[in-house]
Amino acid sequence: MILFNYFAAAALFCLGLYAVITRRNLIKIVLGLSLMESSTYLLMVSLAYRSGSTAPLLVNPPKGQTPSSLVHGNVADPVLQNFCLTAVIIGVAVTGVFLTVVVRIAQHYNSIDADDIRAMRG
Amino acid sequence: MSDAALGSILPLAVACPLLGAVICPIVGRKSGQLALAIAATSLIGSCVVLGLEAPKVFGGRTVIVHFMGHWTPVHGHALGIGWAADPFGLVFALAAAVIGVVLVVYTMSAMAALGRGELGGFACLFLILDAGLIGAALTADLFNLFVWFEVAAIASYALTAFYLDRPMALEAAFKILVLTTIASFAIFVGAGFLYQDHGALNFAQLHDSIAAHGLRTADVVALGLLLAGFATKAGLIPFHAWLPDAHTAAPAPVSAMFSGLMVNLGIVAIARLVLQVFPSQHGLPMLGLLMGAGLLSAVVGSALALGQDNLKRLLAFDTVAQMGVLAVGFATAEKSGVTGAAYHLANHVAFKSLLFLTAGAIIHTLGVENLSEMGNLARRKPFLFAAFLLGIASIAGVPPLNGYSSRNLIHEGLISTHQLWALALLAVAEILTFAALAKAAWLMFLHPRGQPYGDERPLAPGMTLSLLVLGVLCLAFGLVPATLSSRVMAPAASGLLHPSVYSHGVLRAAAVGLPPLHVHSSFVSLEGLLSTGITLLAGGFVASHVVRHGVPRPVEMLRGLHTGSVNDYAMYSVLGIVVGVAVLRLAWTG
Repeated sequence: MILFNYFAAAALFCLGLYAVITRRNLIKIVLGLSLMESSTYLLMVSLAYRSGSTAPLLVNPPKGQTPSSLVHGNVADPVLQNFCLTAVIIGVAVTGVFLTVVVRIAQHYNSIDADDIRAMRG
Repeated sequence: MSDAALGSILPLAVACPLLGAVICPIVGRKSGQLALAIAATSLIGSCVVLGLEAPKVFGGRTVIVHFMGHWTPVHGHALGIGWAADPFGLVFALAAAVIGVVLVVYTMSAMAALGRGELGGFACLFLILDAGLIGAALTADLFNLFVWFEVAAIASYALTAFYLDRPMALEAAFKILVLTTIASFAIFVGAGFLYQDHGALNFAQLHDSIAAHGLRTADVVALGLLLAGFATKAGLIPFHAWLPDAHTAAPAPVSAMFSGLMVNLGIVAIARLVLQVFPSQHGLPMLGLLMGAGLLSAVVGSALALGQDNLKRLLAFDTVAQMGVLAVGFATAEKSGVTGAAYHLANHVAFKSLLFLTAGAIIHTLGVENLSEMGNLARRKPFLFAAFLLGIASIAGVPPLNGYSSRNLIHEGLISTHQLWALALLAVAEILTFAALAKAAWLMFLHPRGQPYGDERPLAPGMTLSLLVLGVLCLAFGLVPATLSSRVMAPAASGLLHPSVYSHGVLRAAAVGLPPLHVHSSFVSLEGLLSTGITLLAGGFVASHVVRHGVPRPVEMLRGLHTGSVNDYAMYSVLGIVVGVAVLRLAWTG
């Protein structure tokens, strides 16, 4: 538990969200979403760290020993870090698709203003 | 085959289409049709694998479990990546595989004019999307559900923008990207919170842990985030804004795939979360929230459909309404209601694919997309007229078509849980749904048209064949309601309604028998026939009123909210998430 990181993650998330909701520039919307994404990584990595934690697989420690005596120091939870790794990969793919679409939009409309790109309404 | 053998072939259901997705673009360099044939073959492979599981899963009312690399659970703690084919998941997986084949066959005819590389790419993306759906149906843990959600999502972005030279497709792709990405953050963070609190991702283990340790605020927030995320995929209001745009812009088989199958992924995940993972006795108002969202989507979605001129957009809003109906069914958490919802889910796949493919066939042969440009098609295209009427009759619940039985079961669930106001709203939604479709049918097929049509393209054999297959499915699902609901859909509902039996089957590798549910489903029920009759009469009246006097004001106001601006849509989505989480937290009495 690192409280400061939680606040930092929340602040980053809100900043990104603000950009997505208020900016009409498509590139800025993509940047805002990337910022939100990074904030979730920070949150996950911070959730993984808990003081006094041990390796998660030590369900049955040998007789006379506890999980904490087998592992020295804190072990951050690798599952949540794995979460992040997977999400980073997905995030790269999504950002790639995002920017491709924005480039195509720029070619077709000669604009990347969200207000020009709203033919479908109602 | 033994349970272990059946379990070990389970991942093949996803591996087949993924393998096909690798081969298709390579083969596509030589021949596009061959690439599509390979796509169909690999999906047939999935069908075979799932078909092998079916007798055991449905007949024995059991859950087939497989842990990758045989990392089996220890003391009720899941260690490996789990697969579980419970009856409910298998219904959706089978639907995804079978309808996938039909859609590929349709594509072979409808998109034959495209280049080789394009068809290869299309086949590849289509298979990845289908693999994502099958994987999501069969996975046993939350994180893999997120991964399959993303697999399906990334393929859906590319398929939405498949006609890269159409500006509309790019616009739709950007909107689906923004909204689905926000949804994926919600699911990601929600899964992380749940894991942090319970040290588990497996549905069964999560259920056991929540039942044993109770809920904390973080869990309630996590549930709110997860529900909102999957509601975006399901197209429930207010998360639905991507759906009509994406359907309008994408090729017809892709619209059918999105509407028939992909949105169901969201509903399947929601049903699992509220019924299988979170036990209902913790004072959590999740069923009420789902009921509210479902009714809102059903009524508003069908009202919006009434105001559309673009045929595919009309059908897309109708999908929003149908997803609402499914959410209502699951939110009853009662045997008839949940059985009906599972039944309706399978029916929706059949009739909505049929309607979208018929719409695609009309657009393909005549080159017009808007209802106002159509008319007088009944004599010109009698086959398509019949197919469209069959689809409408199925949705409206005309016996002996498939919608009749599932609709009645959902009604029965609402009656037996004494939610008559919900039943009344659902009836309004059904009337509006029929009115919107009847209006479309009138304008397309019977309304006189002034000028003659331009060049007409013939209906290719693959299109005729796939429409026939879907029509037969609509009829077949309706002809055997008693068998289907007691042998297939009741076990599916039983798996959802008995989460501890499900979790025992997954975590203890025991061949559990899910308790049988006795659901009554028959043709001759006075209430059923009466409700269908009222729907048809009132719907017909509303439709004729709209055709003569135009769209009513409230519907125009609702349409005005769909500004087309991606910022607004993101705002609706975020507001939906905030309201959902707040309602869950504030009304939580645990």
